[in-house]
Amino acid sequence: MPRRRAGAVIPEMFRQMLEKPSTQAYPYKQVKLPERFRGKLDIDPERCTGCAVCSLVCPASVITMVDTGTRIVGDRELKVRRPVFDLSTCIFCGECVDNCAFKALELTKQFEIATPNKSDLFMNKALSK
Amino acid sequence: MSEVLLQQIEKLAAEAQTKSAQLRKGETIVEVDQRQLKNFIKRLVTETSARHLSTITGLDLDQNIGIIYHFWIERNTIHVKTFVPKTAPAALSIVDIVPGAILYEMEIHDMFGITFEGNPWIDKKLLLPDNWPSDLPPPLLKNANAAEIRKRLGLEVEKK
Amino acid sequence: MIEQTGNAVRKEESAGLMKYSAENLVPFGPIHPALKEPEYFKLVLEGERIVEVIPRIGYVHRGLEKTAESRPWVQNMYMFERTCGICSFVHSLTYGQAVEGLTIYEIPRRAKFIRTIIAELERIHSHLLWVGLMGHWTGFETLFMWVWRDREVVLDLVEAISGNRVHKSMNAFCGVRRDMPEGMEDRIVERMKFLVDRANYYKQIVDTEETMLERTEGVGRISPDTAEKLCAVGPMARYVGLKHDIRLNDPYAAYEEVPFDIVTRKEGDAHALLKLRLDELIVSANMISYAVKHLPSGPIRIKIPPIIPAGEHSSHSEAPRGEIFYYVKSSGGRTPDRVKSRQPTLANLPTALEMLKGQTLADIPVVLTAIDPCFGCMDRMSFVDIESNKKWTWSGEQLRQYGISKYFPERSKKQARTHSQPGQEVTSTKLCYKEEGF
Repeated sequence: MPRRRAGAVIPEMFRQMLEKPSTQAYPYKQVKLPERFRGKLDIDPERCTGCAVCSLVCPASVITMVDTGTRIVGDRELKVRRPVFDLSTCIFCGECVDNCAFKALELTKQFEIATPNKSDLFMNKALSK
Repeated sequence: MSEVLLQQIEKLAAEAQTKSAQLRKGETIVEVDQRQLKNFIKRLVTETSARHLSTITGLDLDQNIGIIYHFWIERNTIHVKTFVPKTAPAALSIVDIVPGAILYEMEIHDMFGITFEGNPWIDKKLLLPDNWPSDLPPPLLKNANAAEIRKRLGLEVEKK
Repeated sequence: MIEQTGNAVRKEESAGLMKYSAENLVPFGPIHPALKEPEYFKLVLEGERIVEVIPRIGYVHRGLEKTAESRPWVQNMYMFERTCGICSFVHSLTYGQAVEGLTIYEIPRRAKFIRTIIAELERIHSHLLWVGLMGHWTGFETLFMWVWRDREVVLDLVEAISGNRVHKSMNAFCGVRRDMPEGMEDRIVERMKFLVDRANYYKQIVDTEETMLERTEGVGRISPDTAEKLCAVGPMARYVGLKHDIRLNDPYAAYEEVPFDIVTRKEGDAHALLKLRLDELIVSANMISYAVKHLPSGPIRIKIPPIIPAGEHSSHSEAPRGEIFYYVKSSGGRTPDRVKSRQPTLANLPTALEMLKGQTLADIPVVLTAIDPCFGCMDRMSFVDIESNKKWTWSGEQLRQYGISKYFPERSKKQARTHSQPGQEVTSTKLCYKEEGF
């Protein structure tokens, strides 16, 4: 039966004082992020074809498809759509990245995205193509 | 172990004038009439080894509301299903047999509008707010609209 | 139940529960901006002893079950993952298992092992967090800080595997979404060894340190019969000696292939809960080391069509706090017909109410933390004293200080914080809400 005493942590306390601190000095020092970190979404407009699979699977209603014109295929005229992103509701799950057949989407390592303007979080890059 | 249990349940079901069915391996479902329910559960809890009640679920079927009691023992789940008509939503409480069912019955009372007779805390609300309007249907029924509930409780969020 | 008619309360008897009367009952608001799951308890006191407790919950009711009926099956998995922050993986795992039972597909073996590894990492994280909270509520701040620093080891591992510290998003129907990274094996085994050493050290502290022993021995006793009748789950059933563990009695994922021991204790008080959770931590760390070394090869996921066949199925699993239960009913469409989810804190609540009867006022923080509620659900309480007809309100911080001052009066005299005595109206700035008379 171990002896009851007060201050049983004092030896460990002295040992801990000799170790280096565990806090990271963010934002004065850069934080090291692991490889699989899930940050802000990014799209490559060259690869996107407007198939709309990403907007069907998103659980948080981030992606809306917008008509940007038409194209001629054979003797038919088909609509061309491109995605528009409202990243303020994104939950960083990665479903759109996994389901894109053309590998146009990517979750970057950018995590400092807090902003007072909601329009900063709208991503219209894909409309340019 | 499960063979013995299955035979016991079949015997109990036969005595309550109903049959038991196997959904898949390890899951049995028994549909019991409202009048035989308390007797069935009392014999299930005392005679077999299934004493742990996981939870009580409510279901909205068209004319009735279904109440399912889920019991569990060692790789076997037993669902005991009973029906209560929507026009007369009253059922008997099993709190004197299984005291742990008291909060589950309060939840079904809040969400589906069924009163359980014999539950000492049935007049208290568990999950709904105190200012719930009495003419709104209970939330989990199919004819309760989420947008209408938000509007009546004053929780509308302005969309840009 | 205390019914309020104006200022006086009637005394009634109903089904064996006495209703007590008090004059001038003060109502209160348990909504606290910093809480994740607020509950509040009305306590009826006689002097210092608690006689009866009446719960009222539902302050963060989000209507998840109703919302689930209008969303596709896969999107519901992300929604149910966000029911809780600490047991998020087990929620999506149980929902996934309930839906997979309706299909005809089998889960690959490698996916089962990866699910087991992540679930046990989550259990270690939750138990470390709880030991720290227990230190905080008993006044032992040093233990709180040290344990929460060791928790960072686990969170770093989770971030390296899944990309996020809290909501891991690793589950999918019939598999997992990401594979284990290359070369993690040695790192995981070394970290698990470190955690086992620290857990052994904390077990020794809990046995010898005077503060913890005074506050937790003999507090929160309950008999095994009562625990079984009230359908207690998880550690609340195991700390009185019942062998209830779903990983043993009804194995899911890879628990049939990974060997482990079930941990039970006989004493049945809060001190036993401390040692039980630290023992479970050691068992989990050994399980992870075994699973990582014996990981089978093969696919990690099978893609299934988005329409689930009709039927009903239920599934349950062992979260760090107890049993999580999911029931799913499908009518053959793209959205479910009914999803029912029951969290373990609701199942342990009647047991907690029984534990509180007969305790003194200063023991409330220890007892309510012992059931491991989701983060400080008891931050707002109101007290009614029958004998002297006094009423007063405290916040959680004041209750904690009162508990420390009661047990160690010399220590608390040196601290210049607000002391709260029963019956004294508190006017400090720590009160977040001012009650208007009702």
